[in-house]
Parts: sequence; structure tokens; C-alpha cells
Amino acid sequence: MAADGAGADLDAKIEPRRVRDRAQAEKLVRDGDLDAALVEGRVVVSDKELPDKLDSALQVGQRQVSTGATLRRQGLSESAARQALDPPPLRARTLSGDANSDQKRFIALAAGILLYGQLLTYGLWVATGVVEEKSSRVVEILLSTISPRALMAGKIVGLGLLGMVQLLLIVAVGGGLALATGSLEATAADVGPVLLVLLWFPLGYALYASMYAATAALVSRQEDMQSATTPLTILILVSFFISFSALDPSGGGTLAQVASLVPFSCPLVMPGRMALGDAAPAEVAVAIVLMVATTILLVRVGARIYAGAILRTGKPVKLLEALRASRTS
Amino acid sequence: MLSLEGLTRRYGEVVALEDLGFQVHRGQLHGFVGPNGAGKTTTMRIVIGVVEPDAGTVLWDGAPVGADTRSDFGYMPEERGLYPKMRVANQLTYMAQLHGVAAQPARAAADAWIERLGLSDRADTRLEELSLGNQQRIQLGAALVHEPSLLVLDEPFSGLDPGGVDVLSAVLAERAAQGAAVVFSSHQLELVERVCDAVSIINHGRLVASGGVAELTARHGGQTLEVEVEDAPKGWWRGRHVQGRRGRARAAGRGGGRRRRRRRPRRQDRAQTGT
Repeated sequence: MAADGAGADLDAKIEPRRVRDRAQAEKLVRDGDLDAALVEGRVVVSDKELPDKLDSALQVGQRQVSTGATLRRQGLSESAARQALDPPPLRARTLSGDANSDQKRFIALAAGILLYGQLLTYGLWVATGVVEEKSSRVVEILLSTISPRALMAGKIVGLGLLGMVQLLLIVAVGGGLALATGSLEATAADVGPVLLVLLWFPLGYALYASMYAATAALVSRQEDMQSATTPLTILILVSFFISFSALDPSGGGTLAQVASLVPFSCPLVMPGRMALGDAAPAEVAVAIVLMVATTILLVRVGARIYAGAILRTGKPVKLLEALRASRTS
Repeated sequence: MLSLEGLTRRYGEVVALEDLGFQVHRGQLHGFVGPNGAGKTTTMRIVIGVVEPDAGTVLWDGAPVGADTRSDFGYMPEERGLYPKMRVANQLTYMAQLHGVAAQPARAAADAWIERLGLSDRADTRLEELSLGNQQRIQLGAALVHEPSLLVLDEPFSGLDPGGVDVLSAVLAERAAQGAAVVFSSHQLELVERVCDAVSIINHGRLVASGGVAELTARHGGQTLEVEVEDAPKGWWRGRHVQGRRGRARAAGRGGGRRRRRRRPRRQDRAQTGT
């Protein structure tokens, strides 16, 4: 029916029901079995004020019905009348930028949230594990057979793989559901941005996990770990907020641009910019190079700190002490 | 045979070990005793490879120990440590695998040792849910599960009930009989005397004595009585005997000469008697 069609345009579903008479209609409305009742094609009866969407749909439907009746009275055929009432809509064409930019923006936002969640969760997981091994003293036995570097690397890689699998699952299930319900329309071009998100997780995780592991190795209790790792958590949080500015139609300006190159904020800001197509290939290349270089450096330093601090239980170890200790031990 | 030579280790100003060396033979139960802070734990950590010495070497069967040799060692640290949330059977299996045992034999060995330690009904419990005594048994299991040729145990008997002490002594004797070298530290001296074939004594980071229990007891054993006598004539103790509960012995000692002091001159002589 006409209202149905109007309803579909507005993303609402309208279920019409035939009712015996006005009294019955009013009773059903008052009881809540009907949202509204159309009486004699002229009056809409509802219990409280009509919801906007239903109101619009009914009004549009009413307009179509009465206009159609008028056209037919003028002598127009049924099909001609229908064509007159439903002209083809305007097609959109943009000169620059994307006609589908809303969807891209959504993907960028989702990417940011996912990466933020995974980096934070798994970074803290690494830290917790390191401190648990220290506080339970199991690290002494472990280090009698494996080197500190192997222990740290194993933990980071193992949890990283878990994080990657979880990320893939979320993307697959979430993306699949979105496609199935029609919330997202995917073309071949859209697969690219999604894969980019998956690329940035390993890079960002390697960077942050090493820092979390090294920081956690300095302390011996979980409570101390919380305060010791706070700066890292803040770093991730701030980067996450900056990634929002990149979603702005203006592209976030210089802040987002710079942040997408700085290795600490890069894994959270760059994916969004890439999904929106705001990042030039040169920028991406520079970002990746800086990221990889910084990660390698931090992994090395982190491993040294870890090796020097991991066996010292008791008071939290100072950073310089740990570095010095790893040189002699 | 485990051979320590010239081990030295300093922590800043503190000298933890100074030129320490002794041997532990295969098949031997070797006690390692000394007061708190003497350097026992540091020595053991050096053998296990957790701490690097400033100088000296650790040799196993003539060759310097490295990462692969150490996978044949079993270690029980003084501060007990295992994953608190890991189930017992899984934990022992993991420990065996860390030392190079393949997955299936590791599982079998873990089960065997859990049974040997009397904890087969707790095999699926998390470590933190066990009593402390049982946790210690599992700690011992972790050191033994991969059938090491050298056992380095730091205060393994502390905190054990008499039943546990018996189990542990039996297990260690069994391992030694099978050809492993066992060295452990303890403050329970009569236990060490009873159980060990050899003992090494350490104090202030230096070796005081090392050798078979019988040999050391004969050489240095017996009661020592120190007597200080003021204003005694020089050599007053010569020729005298001391009557103790177990018999008579000649006095032996050092005579001090006259020393001038500000207050008043005192002659201090010390006499030692052996019973």
C-alpha cells in the first residue's frame, strides 16, 4: 500500500490491519494493540502523539492515494497515474570525494574502535602475564632453561597471534552480519580498507606490547603494574581520540596528518585516514617505515630492560638500573 | 661431576661470593650449608644460569655449562615459584617440555611423578588451590619431572612436615642411586649429617670446608671449649687436662703475650680442649 511504500523509504515497517468499525479501532488503539487507526481515510487516531516516522509515512501515503484518485477522475489510466506519482529519483554524482563516504567513515570509525580495543586489551594482557611470572617467582625456574628474550618474545608473539585471530573473527562476523542485513554494501574496493586495518594491528601491537612487557618487568605486583603502565594506556587513548578528528569531513587537518606519521599514534590514526582515502601513498610509506624502525628499536631496548629487571623482585626497579644490569648479567 | 672453580660475585659493594669452589660427584648427595646470607642461593643461581658470576667457571662433566647442558639440570628455588592458576598436571608437563622432553613422554612423566608424590587425586587442581605443603611437593616435581642428571635444590626441606621430609629424602636418595648428582642447601644440620654423603660449608661467600661427612666430622668435629683467663701466667694451660663428660683430653691452645693497654695490662690466654 502507499503508506507501506513510504514507510519503506523511511526505514520503517508498517503492518496494516482491517478493523470492523470505529469503536473497535479506538479500543484497539487505547489497548495498545494498534499504534494508530486510519478512520474514513481522513482522520488518524492514536493514543498518544503519533511517532514521527509513522506520521510522515501516513501523510505521504494519504497524499499519494488522494492524488491518484484525482488523476484517475481526470481520466488518467491506472498505470499512467502510478508513473506520475512515482517519478525516478535524482542520481547522485560527486566531483571529488566519495558518494559512499558515509559508509567509509563508518568503516574508519569501526577500525579505530577495534584497534583501540585490541591494542589496549592485549597490551595489558602481556603486562599482566609478565608481572604474574615475576610475583609468583616462576620466572626463576623458567630462566634456568630459556633466555629472557625468548620468554618475552614467546609471550608477545603468542598473545599477538591470539589477538589477531580474535580481530579476524570480529571483522568476519561483524562484517558478515552487516553485509547480510544490508547495513553495509561491499564492493571489491571496500575489501582493501578492511585489510589495511588488519595490517596495522601487528605493527601497533608489536610496538606497544614490547613497551608493556618492559614496563611490567620493572615492577613485581599487579597494583604497581597498573600505575607503571598508565603512560602507555594514555598514549593509546589520546591516539584514539585523535583518530576521531580524522573522520571529520575536513580530514582532521594537520593534527591528524602528523599523528598518522608518529609511530605511537600511527596505528590508530592511519587506518582511518587510509579508509577514507585521505592518505597519500607517500605518507603511508613513510608511516610504515617509521613504524617498523621504531618498533625494532623499542623491541631491542625493551628486551634489555626486561632481561635486566625480570629477576629483581621487591621494590620497583628504576629504568636505568635495569639497562645497566642487563649489560653486566 | 659438577665442578665449581673460583666463583666470585659482587653486588655493588657487597661481596656475595669470593673464590668459591667445590665438586659434586654423580651418585652423591651433597649438602650445602652455611648461615643466612653466606652465599648459598647465589651459588646455586650461578650454577643454574640465572645469575652470571663476575669470575670463575662452572663445569659439568668437564665442559663449561651452556644453555643445552642446563636443560639436564633440575632446579628448586628457595622462593617457591610456579604458575598459580595452572593445573598441576599441565604445569608439570609444561616444565618437562621446557627442558626438552617431547609432549607425550612429558605427559607420562608428569603423571608418574604426581603419583609418586602422592597427589594423583589433585592432578587437575590449580596450584593455588593446594595446601602449601602440597604446593612444595609439586615444586619438587617440577625439578624432577625431566629426570635431570644434576639436582640443585635451595632449602628443599624447609616447610615440609615429617612425612614430606621422608618422601623427599627417599626421592633424592633414589635419584642419586640412579646416577644423578644432588646438591641441596639446608639449615637442618642433623638432617644433612644423616642424609648426605658429602657436605660443603660456606660463610661470608667463602668456602670453609668441603668433603665427605665422615671425614669432616673426624677432622673438625668434637666440642670446642674456649676459656679466657685474666691475669694468667704465660702458658698456664700447658700440661693440663680437661675432664669432660665423655673423657679426658689434653689442653691445647695459643698463649698471648703481655699487651699494654691504657687501662691495665691484661694477659689473655685461650685454651682449647678436645673431647
